[in-house]
Amino acid sequence: MKNLIAFLRRFRIFLLFVGLQFIALATYFSSLSFPRSQYLTTSNKVTGNIMAARNSVTHFLHQDETNRELIKANKRLREKIPENYIQISSTEIIVRDTIRDTDATYEQQYTYIPATVLKSTYDKRNNYMSLNIGRKQGIKKGMGVFSESGIVGTVYQVSDHFSLVKTILSMNPNIDIMLVEDGSFGFLKWETHQARLANLTGISNDKPIKKWGKVITRGGGGIFPRGLAVGKVYRVSPIEGRALWNVEILLGTNFKKVQKVYVIKNLLKGEQVRLESTIPKDPDDE
Amino acid sequence: MNKFVTHSIRFVVFVLVQALILNHLEFGWGILIIVYPLFVFLLPNDLNIAFSLIIAFAMGFAIDLLSDTFGLHASALVVFAYLKPLVFARFAKQDDYENLKEANIYTMGTSWFIYTFGILLFFHHLWFFLFEIANFGEIVYIIQKTVLSLIVSFLFSVGLQIIFVPKPKER
Repeated sequence: MKNLIAFLRRFRIFLLFVGLQFIALATYFSSLSFPRSQYLTTSNKVTGNIMAARNSVTHFLHQDETNRELIKANKRLREKIPENYIQISSTEIIVRDTIRDTDATYEQQYTYIPATVLKSTYDKRNNYMSLNIGRKQGIKKGMGVFSESGIVGTVYQVSDHFSLVKTILSMNPNIDIMLVEDGSFGFLKWETHQARLANLTGISNDKPIKKWGKVITRGGGGIFPRGLAVGKVYRVSPIEGRALWNVEILLGTNFKKVQKVYVIKNLLKGEQVRLESTIPKDPDDE
Repeated sequence: MNKFVTHSIRFVVFVLVQALILNHLEFGWGILIIVYPLFVFLLPNDLNIAFSLIIAFAMGFAIDLLSDTFGLHASALVVFAYLKPLVFARFAKQDDYENLKEANIYTMGTSWFIYTFGILLFFHHLWFFLFEIANFGEIVYIIQKTVLSLIVSFLFSVGLQIIFVPKPKER
C-alpha cells in the first residue's frame, strides 16, 4: 500500500511535468506555424514597454552609426532631386527619379513609415525584431521592412503600439531577389546561420557569377518594391549533383547594429492580390 | 532575511538579467549564455517537487514573454526542474542528499556539483536547442550550439556563485 502511494506520488509529479510541457510546447509550435498569440510576445503592452525602456538605455550606443547612415541616405536622395540635373539634349526625355503626388502620369504605390528598433536578435534559428510602432500607425501583418542598407524582414505580429518583425535571418524568408548583373532571380534563404550571410537559391550554373555583384529585391510579391538593396555576392560554390549555384550573399543590413528601419506600405497591394486571385487553378494541382 | 523574499527577489533578478542582457549578447557560433537554470538549482531541496515545477514553468514563461520565444524557455526549464531530484539522487553519496538543505557549489563540494549541475544543464541546453531549431537535418548545428553554450553557461554559473554565494566557514 505504501509503495502504491509512493508510486502515485511519483506519477502525479510526472503528470504535472507532462501537463506543463504540453502547454509550453503547444504554445511554441503553434507560434511557429500560425502566429496568433500576440499577448505572448514583446508586441504586447507590458513587455513592449519594458523593451522600450531597455531601448532608451541602450540606443545611444549606436547613435553615431545611425546618424552616419542617415546622412549618407540623405545625400543619396538629395542627388536625385530633378533640380540637380540639367537637360543636355532636347530630344532626350528626362526621367525624373522623384515623383510628385500631383503628377498625373505617376501614381504612388509605396509609402514608408519610419520606425525605431526596440530589440532584435541575430543568433537564433528564427530571429525577430520589435518596432516602436503598431496598428495605430497603420502597420499591418505581412508588410515589408528595410533599413538604409538593405532589407530586414516582414511584419509578423502587430499590437496597438508595437509590432514584431520576423527578420530574413529565419528558416525560410522566401523573398524573391535577383542579381543586378543579368537579372537572374531566385529566393532568399538563410542556411549559413551567420548574421551577415544569407543564401540565394535557384540560380542555374550555366553562367559564371561575379563576386561582389549587387543583389536587389525583385518586387514580385508586392511586399518589397523592386530594386531595394539586399546585399552583394560573397561566395559562389557549386551544389553537388544539381545544376545550380549555391550563392552566398553578404547582407547589406547589419543586424547587430540596425536602429532605424522603414516599414513599407503598398497602397496597391489589394489590387494586385485581387487580380492574381483570378488566375484559374491548375486541375493537376487538385 | 526571509527565505521566501530572498528567492522572490532572485526570481525577478534572474528573469531580467537573462531576458534583458544575456539574450542580447550574441557572440556568434551560436553561443548563448543561459543562466536562469541556476535559480531552480539553488531552490531549497526540501521544497515540494510539484511546486518547483510550477515555479520553473512561471520563470521560463516570464523569460519567453520578454524574448519572443513562446514557451521554449519554459519547456526547457521544466525539464531541468523535473530531472533535478533524479540526477541529484543518482550522484549523491549515501545520505548526503537528505542532509543537504540548500544546494550550491560550497555545500555540495566541487565534484558532486560539477556532475549534477553539468548533466542537468546539458539536458536543458539540448532540449532548448533541439526545439529551437526543430530540424534533424541540422543536427550538427544543434550539437554545436548545445556544447559551446553549455561550456560558457556553466562557467558563468560557477562564476556567479563564487561572487554572490557567501562561502560557509570551515567546520
